[in-house]
Parts: sequence; C-alpha cells; structure tokens
Amino acid sequence: MRPIPCGIAIVSIAAMTSLAAQQQPTSAVPTPASPHRATLDRYCATCHNERLRTGGLSLDNIDVARVADSGEIWEKVIRKLRTGAMPPAGMPRPEQASLDALALYLETALDRAAAARPNPGRPSLRRLTRTEYGNAIRDLLAVEVQSESLLPADDSRFGFDNIGSMLTLSPLLAERYLAAARQVRRLTLGDPALRPTLELYDVSKDLIQEDRVGEELPFGSRGGIAVRHHFPADGEYFFTVRLQRNSREYIRGMQEPHDLDVRLDGARIGRFTIGGERRGRSSFVFSSAAMGDVAQEQYERTADATLEVRHAVAAGTHLISAAFVKIGSMPEGPLQPRMTMYDFAQYKGGEPGVARLAIGGPYNVTGVADTPSRRKVFVCRPSGRADEERCARNILSTLARRAYRRPATDEDVQTLLAFYQTGRRDGGFDAGIGLALERLLAGPEFLFRIERDPANVAPGAAYRISDVELASRLSFFLWSSIPDDELLEVAERGRLKDPAVLERQVRRMLADARASSLVTSFAAQWLNLRSLRTVTPDLERFPYFDENLREAFHTETELFFESILREDRSVLDLLRADYTFVNERLARHYGISGIYGSHFRRVRLPDSNRGGLLGHGSILTVTSHATRTSPVVRGKWVLDNILGAPPPPPLPNVPALSERDTQGKVLSMRAQMEQHRANPVCASCHRLMDPLGFALENFDGVGRWRTIDAGAPIDASGALPDGTAFRGLGGLRQVLLQKQREQFVSTVTDRLLTYALGRGVEHYDAPVIRSIMKEAAPGDYKMSSLILGVARSMPFQMRRLGES
Amino acid sequence: MIITGKAIPRRAVLRGVGATVALPFLDGMLPAFASQAESIARLSVVFAPNGVNVNKWTPATEGAGFQLSPTLEPLAPFRDRVVVLSGLDNSIGDPRPGEGETAPHERAGGVFLTSVHPQREGRVGISVDQIAARELGRRTQLASLELGLHSNDIAGQCEKSWSCAYIHTLSWRTPTTPLPVEYRPRAVFERLFGDNDSTDPAVRRARLQKDRSILDSVAEAAARLMRAVGPSDRARLGEYLEGMRDVERRIQRAEEQSSRELPAVDRPAGIPASFDEHATLMFDLQVLAFQTDLTRVITFMLGPEQSNRTYPEIGVPEVHHGLSHHQGDPEKLAKLAQIDTYHTKIFRYYLERLQATRDGDASLLDHLTILFGRSMSDSNEHLLQNLPILVAGGSNGRLKGGRHLRYPRGTPIANLYLTLLEDVGVPLDSFGDSTGRLEGL
Repeated sequence: MRPIPCGIAIVSIAAMTSLAAQQQPTSAVPTPASPHRATLDRYCATCHNERLRTGGLSLDNIDVARVADSGEIWEKVIRKLRTGAMPPAGMPRPEQASLDALALYLETALDRAAAARPNPGRPSLRRLTRTEYGNAIRDLLAVEVQSESLLPADDSRFGFDNIGSMLTLSPLLAERYLAAARQVRRLTLGDPALRPTLELYDVSKDLIQEDRVGEELPFGSRGGIAVRHHFPADGEYFFTVRLQRNSREYIRGMQEPHDLDVRLDGARIGRFTIGGERRGRSSFVFSSAAMGDVAQEQYERTADATLEVRHAVAAGTHLISAAFVKIGSMPEGPLQPRMTMYDFAQYKGGEPGVARLAIGGPYNVTGVADTPSRRKVFVCRPSGRADEERCARNILSTLARRAYRRPATDEDVQTLLAFYQTGRRDGGFDAGIGLALERLLAGPEFLFRIERDPANVAPGAAYRISDVELASRLSFFLWSSIPDDELLEVAERGRLKDPAVLERQVRRMLADARASSLVTSFAAQWLNLRSLRTVTPDLERFPYFDENLREAFHTETELFFESILREDRSVLDLLRADYTFVNERLARHYGISGIYGSHFRRVRLPDSNRGGLLGHGSILTVTSHATRTSPVVRGKWVLDNILGAPPPPPLPNVPALSERDTQGKVLSMRAQMEQHRANPVCASCHRLMDPLGFALENFDGVGRWRTIDAGAPIDASGALPDGTAFRGLGGLRQVLLQKQREQFVSTVTDRLLTYALGRGVEHYDAPVIRSIMKEAAPGDYKMSSLILGVARSMPFQMRRLGES
Repeated sequence: MIITGKAIPRRAVLRGVGATVALPFLDGMLPAFASQAESIARLSVVFAPNGVNVNKWTPATEGAGFQLSPTLEPLAPFRDRVVVLSGLDNSIGDPRPGEGETAPHERAGGVFLTSVHPQREGRVGISVDQIAARELGRRTQLASLELGLHSNDIAGQCEKSWSCAYIHTLSWRTPTTPLPVEYRPRAVFERLFGDNDSTDPAVRRARLQKDRSILDSVAEAAARLMRAVGPSDRARLGEYLEGMRDVERRIQRAEEQSSRELPAVDRPAGIPASFDEHATLMFDLQVLAFQTDLTRVITFMLGPEQSNRTYPEIGVPEVHHGLSHHQGDPEKLAKLAQIDTYHTKIFRYYLERLQATRDGDASLLDHLTILFGRSMSDSNEHLLQNLPILVAGGSNGRLKGGRHLRYPRGTPIANLYLTLLEDVGVPLDSFGDSTGRLEGL
C-alpha cells in the first residue's frame, strides 16, 4: 500500500482543546515516560506536531510524564492505539509491544488519576421519558396505556431517547400531562359517565394473511388482528371489521365464502360468513378498468358493512381478536409461486384479509367492575362515612410513595387530600380519589426524577447519592420504570449501598419480566431496530419482502437479545451465537427447512453463514438502501455500533458512483465501490468501512442469502487496514472476535453506561469503562457482569454538585 | 356574537373517517373578536425536506412577468398570490473552522427558521414562527401549532452527538426549548377541540375549575422544588412551570369564550396510510385551526430533514434523502424534481382550501402570510445558499403576488423573516443575522 500523506489521514480527532496550557518538555534524565516519548516522537509526531496539527492534534510538546493533565487527548490516543487505527497503514509502525506499552502506560496513569479524583459528572434533572411514563403508569396502577397516544415523542442524542439534556418541556407537553392524567384516571378507576368513543386498530395493508399471524390469535385462524383494549366501564360495545381492499377498492377474496370470528378473551362472540354471493357478473380477478354488473360490483365493494357485533363487556383490559377460520385443505391445482406485492395490489381473488378492527362504546353502561387497577388503588375500603378520610389518607400515601419513589411526606399527603376532599364533595369517595390521582400524575414530584444536593457538599465536589435515589436510578435503568415495593423498602432502610444487597437486587430485577425494557428500549435503540418500522424496501427489487417479514425480523432480534440477557450469556454471543429464533416465514427467508407455523422457536444454525446479530435480517435491512445493499452503510453501522469508532462524515459533493464501466458494462456494487475508493480522499475512510460491509454482501437488501449480484458471483472478501484478510460473515466474525473483542465489549459497556446515566460518555468515564471490563473479563463478559458493573460504577452511584 | 354559523360551516367535514362529535369545551369556532376578523394577521410555514433540484425549481425569468418553473407549474392557478424568492442564504448555519463537516442536515434544520448557528447539544435561537407566536398568540387559545407527517421514533438517524431535535422540529420557543411536532391528525384535533369530555356547559365549567386547581397546586409544588435543586436543574422546572402557566392562560381564554355555539366536526381517527391523504388531512386541520382562530401561527413539516420516505405512488421507489445526493446523475435529478413537484401539488391543495374558506369579507388566503420553503438548496452539497423559498397569501393586502425576485448573493434569509414579522405586525430591529428588511417584497 502507498504511504498516506499526513494531510488525509483519518480525521476524527477533531477540535482538540486545552493544548495551550502545556508543560515544559520532559528533561533529558530518563524517566518511566522516556521510552514513550521516543515512540511518540518517532511514530506520531511526524504528522501530529505543532506545525502540521494533523487531525487537529499535536503531540510533540505534550508532557508524557503528566498524563492526567491532558486526559481528553490521551483517551483519544489510547483509542487509536487500541483499535490499531494509528499509525495508519503505510506509515512506519513500531513493534506492537511498544504501542501496547504506550497504551498501557497511559491507561494506568489515567486510571490512577481518576481513582484519586472521581468525576461522576452531573446528569441534568430528568423528567420521565414517554416510555418511562407508560411503564410507571403500568406498575403504579396496573393499567396498560398507549403512551404513544398520550404524550409527544422525546428527542434523542447519543443514540438514546432518555438523555437528560434532551428531555425538555414544551407547553404542548404540559398540556398533554394534564390530559393524560385525566385519561389515566378514567382508565384506572373506570368512568360510567364516559361518552362513547371509537378506537380503530389498523392492520398494515402489506401484511400477508394466509396463515396465523400472531401468538395471541387462535390456532387454526388465518390473518386478522388481536388487540388488548381497555374498556372504561361495564356496558355494551360494538366491534366492526373492515376487510382489505385491492388497489381498485374491491374487497379481496369475495369469490368464495369465508368464516370470520370475533373473540373476546379467546371466547367467540361473533361468527360471520362472508363472500361467495352471486348478484351478477363479476369483473376480472386482476382488476382493471372493466367493471362487472352493478349489483355484483356493489356487493364486492361493500359486503363487509355487515361485519358488526355488539356485546356486553366488563370494565378492564381484554383481548379482542378478529380473524378468519383457516381452511385446512390445500388449494386445488399446482402450487403457485408467491405473488409479488405489485400483483397483489391488483388482485381481488384469493382469501380476504382484515384491514381494521374498530371498537366503539360504551353504551347502556351498568357500572364499573372490580378491575385489577381498582384493586391496586383501593388498598382499603371505608367502613362508613366516618372512616373515609382515614382510608383516603391510606390510599393516597401508598400511591404517593410509589409514584414519587420515596417515603411520602405529610405535605405530599395533605396536598393530595385537599383534592380528594373537593372531589368527594362533588362525586363521592371514588371521585375524590380520582381527582387526587389526577393531581398526583400531573405533578412535578411524579414527572421529574429529582435528586437533591446535600447541604454540606462544596460546589463541584462529588458525593454519593442517597439509597432512595439509587433505587430510582436502578429501576429506570433496568426496567424503564419506577421501583417496586421491595426495592424501595431496601433503599428506605439504607441497605441498598451495601454491595451484596445491591447485587442481589440487580439480579432479582434482571430476572423480572420488567427487565424486557432492556430489550425493547435499550437494545432496540442501540441496534437501530426502531428504523425497521420505517424502512421501505423497493417491492420491485425485493418482491418477497412483506409486513410479516418485517415483524419477523423485529421479533427475531428481540428474542435473540432477550436470550442473551435472560440466560446470562456472554455479550460476545451477540456476535458468535450459533442459534437464532425463527418462525416459518423467517425460516423460509433464511433457507432453513423443517420449520412450520407462525410461532417463533429457537433453532441451531446449520452453518456459520448467519450466526449472531450481523446475520439478522433486521440489521441487514436497516443498513440497506431501498433498492440495493450498501456496503458503506453496513460498514459504518459495524464501526459505529459494534466497534464504537464512527467514521468521520462524508465530504460534501462526492463524485458519483458509476453503475457502468468505461465500456458501458454494468458493474456490481462491489466494483462500483472499488472505483470510488481509487480516489485517495475517499479511500482514507472507505478502506475502514467498506471491507466490513463487503463481508456481508452475501445478504441482499432485505437480508436474503445470495451468491450473485449484477450477474457476477459475490466476492465477500475484505481486509482490515492492517492487512488481516477475511471472507464473508464467518470470516468477519472471526476477526471481530479475535482482534476487536475488547473494542466490542467496550462499545457495549459505553452504550449501557450512556443509557444508564442518561448522558453522553465523556473522556473522564473511560477509566470507569476499563474497570467494568476488567471485572467482567474473567467470566467471559457475561451480560449480567457488565450490567452489574454499571450499577456499581462510581458515576452511577455518585453525582457532582453543580458549580454555583 | 353575530357571525353565528357563518364564520364556519355548521358541519366542517374533515377527510378521514371517524365519529362525528359535537365540539367540547376547548372550542373556539368563532374568532374571539370577529369584528376585526379581516385584520387578523396569521403566519403559516410549510417546509419540505432535503432541498430541491434547483434547476427545475428556479424560474428562468424575473419580475412580474416571470415564467413558472417546472417544479412550480402546479401553482399556475395561484400565480398572482405567490412571490418566488431567489438568492437568499442562511450561511450562518455553515460549519465554522474547527467544527468539522458533521451533521449537515441537523445544521440545516436548526438554522432554517432561526438564522442562528446551531450548537450540537441543542442550543440555537428562537425561531421566526415563535417570535410571531409570542405576539399573535396573546389573543388565541394556542400560541402556535407545530405539525408534521413524521414520528420522532427515528433515533439513530441523526448524528450521535447532535441533538435529534434539529431533525424533528423547526420551532424553538427558547434557544434551548424545541417544540415537538405532532403528526397524528386525531391528536391535533383533540388539541384544538378538546378530548372526549362532556359537552354539558355546567360539567365543562366544573372541569375547568378542577383543572385550574390542579394547575395551581402543581405550579406551587414546582416552585418549591426549584428552591431545593441546584441552579442548573432549575431551568428545567422553570420550563414545566411556564408550560403549566400556558395551559392556565388557555383555560382562561376558553372560559371567556365558553358560551359559543358548538358545531359538529368529524373527528379524524387513524393516521392515513398514504402521504397524500395524510398531508391533505393535516392541511384541512390547519385551515380549521385558522378559521376558528384557535391559533394564528402554524409550522408544518412535510417531512423531517434527511427524510427517507419513498414515493412509489408517483413512480419513485428510492428514498428521498438518497436521491437528494444525486451526484449529478440526470436520472436521480429527474426523480428529485418529481418529488419536488409532488410537494408543490400538495401545497396547492392547501392554497385551494384557504381560498375556498371565507374569513370575514374575504378568504383565509387573503389574510394569511405563508412561507413555503426548504432549508437547503442543493442537498447533494448541503448548500445553505440560494434557498428555494416562496411566500404566498394576501398578508391582509401587504403582499403583492405574481413576481419572482432575485436578491444579490449573500442576502440573509433573516432579512425575509424580519420583513414577514413586520407584515404580521411584529416589527423587530433585527433577527438572527439579518442586515435589514428585504427590499421590494
């Protein structure tokens, strides 16, 4: 490889500061730092000097003996050394041993300095995120709310939406807090005076409904939808089902009769037979401008208007489903290939699908049943009028303690009691509790995670947060929710700071169902899974992509991450696991045989082509363009999320990729990229990203295995800047596990710490990350050991007082 | 109040399906001071992401006799209501030496309506719509509305160390308080007209009183907490306090207007699946919000900066942001122009609705000042110069349409904002990096 001139070496050590306050260069007397000074002078300062300041960095005058004075710079140097990114390929490079020695020397010095003067940082005062609000309501009141419909979304930074400095408060949010409090009160206590409402549950039009489509739908069902709906009162509700239309507004599948069941908590409350009626000549099955007879047209467009059932339902959350009955036998005639989505849009034959379930009501309200949420709130029932205030006090102080996540004060209870009294006057005991509940839910004591500074700490000094505050940090980290009674009790007794107690609580919490928020909230954001919902693969290029596959991708990665968490596996298994989770749809996509049915199960992968996260359809799809794969995006994704070394952004106005060569021959994606990299400016970054992406070229834009692209066999080989060659995902995986293992674990730790603290990880956190990793290494980096490491870490347990 | 049933049809029909309900308490079907209806100033901002194909956007000729460009052709029926502006820059958003080239779309989103250099942690300036809302919002229940078609759940699509707020919203109430954008039609409807509470006036009054007492109590608690926490945490509680006071103001206004006639409006239900339906429904809601004088300032985003929407319905299955990096490829440029033109057509629908809606003795369009634009010109190079901008509406007689004006390079778009603010009755000495008012508009 040609040496790279300093000017275009990797430019991510940007915006260096504080170089002005430099110490004198070390004297000529040999010190422990001397050999390192020599290494720096010989191999680094040729580019990174005061004159050139390549990448904004100068190392010729910096004092190697006083490492702690320039922690921010040295941490970046350590990173470059540990990832092998510096010195760059093509430049003189010393023995690996002397680079390792330099890195170790710097790390040791910085770790020692950090231990002497801990800096936990100061996360901003945080309000609950939308997710946390929903979970807190669930755990406080035993009611499932759709927090997405109650509150606006939160802005994210550093990859997560729970970053303190981003959790701002707009007038809209304030308004929504009040409305949400009212709504939650109604859902919790029920409301016989409620006017009827209509809720719609839509099924994606791209969901193929030829088989059972969800775990909550009955076996033997086909297509449809199942929803958990909250019914505010005992009364009558109506359920209507609208069926899928094709692109010309014909209801699909009206040629033959089909049975549709509506079920309430699994029990059938309505059966309809729809389709198969003849009222005249029908139009073509692939609809065109040609119409059939008027009566038949009318029928085929409106037949589902009759799909309505009225039924009495008790207040509370119930499972409602609407799905067709699957016809057991195989269709006659030869098996047809699967229809493309494009054709499907024109097709009005085949089987009907559910487009929407609407639930309206309540009508003829008879009262409010004893629901789990009412039981949770009414911890007592007044024995008579005279007993009401005692009981109200009891109810409200119990609620306040849980909601405010600390012992309830007299003032807390008095405030709520005043609302109780107003409500009691106007509408009875329940109404009183309801109004107090609204006040509680709209108040800052519930909505903000308050950490109070102790009185006797100097500005800027670090101090240990209280046990009760630690309990909240733990529960929001592990559950995205409020502490439960046990955790709060332990904290109130001052026991949580005891490391053994802390570990016991963390392990208990990880075993709890609520820890699945580490999957749906932490992992989903870390791995960009949320983008999966918005990707739109071009259906002409990827005709086999549909809604079922999108959902299956999501489920696979969630189940996989959950297995690592629940079985307390090594985080390295995220990359190297030889198993995954599939249902029939996904197995077909992956070419795994012998899997039938819609439910997901764990399978051992037959070969090393698809093990670990990098073989997941979810990740391969969110890192592709709509019409093709993108080795660059995939490579960047790996650098970013697996290795924690995001490449610098592309330069503006990069020259075009040419899809054909000079002779006009169509080029494969790889060949196009090779041309692009011939430009040295582009090459400086792409030689890091592209090889990682090339290794995944055997997977197309929606993660299906392929061996040919643009008529040429796939070449899935690549090499790291240091020359290490690999081929395919199997090869890449080996390299990541052997050469970048620490880097990967450090990235996972960094992500966990960011998420747990709700702030960006700073250079002064690097010693903390190193110590968490050191502790976790002997157990092969078990998931729990990293999580425990974070929970025990200094920044998680401490806080710095703001400068006044 | 005299204009009963005239300011708005008795039954304003919205697109989309849903139950028809009588509007409950937070309604305001009649302007609070309808006698001055014709002089009410209103500002509407419509934004589209990822720049444009500049060659197809910019009209070839200037002045009053200018020729509409291919991208603007759909606006032919409104030619005399539109002024196309060329040559306006927002260069204050360009990276400064040492900042690196990171996050161009975040920068563009942040600087668009603020003309202040965005800091990565989410610190910029008060946006022009919010300056207007401070004044125009005094008389209405809602100071402003921020609407879009996108959900915020796209963590990971913005640069990691940058605030994603720059992508998700254009509106900044303070330099550090971005305003979230609502994309669900039903939520917009309920924000305007209240949720499902009773329509019985006595019940509504009691409800308002309860809300007030809750507001008083939580404000008191917040004030107490502010004394207990450190100075840096006080600001966040201050935002909360400020927000709660806003709601209180709104309740007060609603009480003053509580004796109004309540027309029936279709409450929108789900989120329409197609771009076209979603966008037109959101425009319907904006017309309704202006018509009922519930607000006088609305900012609407047809997409977030860096949008990856595909438009298969017009034959563009590729993602928008990808296409905007056209690299000079004629095929990509053509598709980009297709998207741009599609956006113009959707915008035309808005103008049609505004023109068809009576407001006093004229149409809503006559009384509106509308800014339609992008935060970049050529997104391939992330250019903040020569932005594709047009101004539409009558501005209560202040705007003379049917022109294409070209300004000398380096003219800050902040000058336009200063001028628009004056048009809606909010004269300022300066805004962002403005150097004076825009001449000739």
